[in-house]
Amino acid sequence: MNVNYGLIKRRQFVNGAAIALSSVATAVGLFFLFWILYTTFTRGIDALSWNLFTMVTPPAGATEGGIANALVGSLMMCGLALLVGAPSGIAAGIYLAEYAKLGKAGSVIRFVNDILLSAPSIVLGLFAFSLVTALGGGFSGWAGAFALMMIVLPVVVRTTDEMMRLQPKQLREASLSLGIPLWKVNTQILLRAALPGVTTGVLLALARISGETAPLLFTALGNSFFTLNMGEAMESVPTSIAKLAMNPDEFWNKLAWAAAFLMTSFVLLISVLARIILRTNRAAND
Amino acid sequence: MIDTNQPDNFKVQAKNLDFFYGDFRALKSINLDVRERQVTALIGPSGCGKSTLLRVFNRIYEIYPGQRATGSVLLDGSNVLANTYSLNALRSKVGMVFQKPVPFPMSIFQNIAYGISHFEKLKAADLALRVEQALKQAALWDEVKDKLKQSANSLSGGQQQRLCIARAIALQPEVLLFDEPTSALDPIATSKIEQLIAELRRDFTILIVTHNMQQAARCSDYTAFMYLGDLIEFGKTDKIFTKPTNKQTEDYITGRFG
Repeated sequence: MNVNYGLIKRRQFVNGAAIALSSVATAVGLFFLFWILYTTFTRGIDALSWNLFTMVTPPAGATEGGIANALVGSLMMCGLALLVGAPSGIAAGIYLAEYAKLGKAGSVIRFVNDILLSAPSIVLGLFAFSLVTALGGGFSGWAGAFALMMIVLPVVVRTTDEMMRLQPKQLREASLSLGIPLWKVNTQILLRAALPGVTTGVLLALARISGETAPLLFTALGNSFFTLNMGEAMESVPTSIAKLAMNPDEFWNKLAWAAAFLMTSFVLLISVLARIILRTNRAAND
Repeated sequence: MIDTNQPDNFKVQAKNLDFFYGDFRALKSINLDVRERQVTALIGPSGCGKSTLLRVFNRIYEIYPGQRATGSVLLDGSNVLANTYSLNALRSKVGMVFQKPVPFPMSIFQNIAYGISHFEKLKAADLALRVEQALKQAALWDEVKDKLKQSANSLSGGQQQRLCIARAIALQPEVLLFDEPTSALDPIATSKIEQLIAELRRDFTILIVTHNMQQAARCSDYTAFMYLGDLIEFGKTDKIFTKPTNKQTEDYITGRFG
């Protein structure tokens, strides 16, 4: 065989160059990621204290205070958004995957859902705001939860739809061949098989809304005082970070970093949890 | 294997059965008489329509739009293709086992109990008894009796397939349809399923689609050879495999095509 050493040399060179370029690109990306995490964690841990969880946002100039009002507000609004958004999203996902998969309606709904999925969150906030004011309401926790729910919904619809469609055709046929009606097959067998994936979708939606700021700016607005009343304006962790960080007050800035640290850790925790759920289930199925 | 003292008793009969995937005619005027408590094998090259035919008997094809059957399929004399025939009743009388074992995402016990509980409201003790019976009938009881609460996914492929058989017979059907039940299994698991089919033959009318000619010869009483949507030849298995009357049948079973 004739070996073309020139060609081999050239290919080796191109290969080496491609590896070098992609390594540099990866390094740049990771560098900034770790820089952000490092800053958040070191400055956040510096500012951590129990007061964070027990005291409310102090007036500028104070030396003591916390973000209890923001934590409770975030918890209530995210919780409600998830409580309403996740079940309706799962139901809609089942509908898409099992009933409307071939029809025209299915593809139209899927397309519209994808638009909603990538809609800028400030637009959703603006919509929630105009809807609430049109109904005669003002800034409130309800409005904030509503805006967040509109972010949860498309994420859960999409993951449920995909996870249901990933289930083997034969599982569906085997269930139906026992004479079990379609609704039972969908909700008790296929959904159960898809549950780890669906749960992951719900968790990722939670991770996403716990950091959303824009839709809360003009719905829940923010509130320096502690409240459990969702009819009032409510503080949330991301909006409080914005407020605390933009003020020159040194203690406020410290609180902002602590809040950022808490939020980042929470999102990280949720992502890890989602991965664990997916992985243990995959192992059980192999 | 054929009981000579058994009279011809037709459990399932296909009459002038046509089947369409959209405009494509996949079955052409099939007439087939399936004898009660006998094993009938459907053989033929890929695409000949044997699986399609099997899927008509419990109307599982109906979950896909664009697939339809015309003609009639009689189960104990009544036409199951008629709109008035209850689909759920049909499927509880005609069980099906698929190529790939597909346990439900629940415990071994629940896999069997789920279908039973849908049709009958039983006390816990009675339900447990029925589950035990089904697992014994499927020759799986001894292997799983100590781990009924474990996930069905923890079983081996062969055990999962026997679990699927147990799941089907737990509903006490009259007919069992097997769609290439061993093509995903190793030889040992395959031989267990074949032994099981020989046992089940005493209680059920069995139809089996297989690509494995030795399997058809080993475990069936009657064999139907299909080709391009036509039923070419049907008769007692030993005759089909030793003295086929049709040239195409002979070519296929001797491995000349397919």
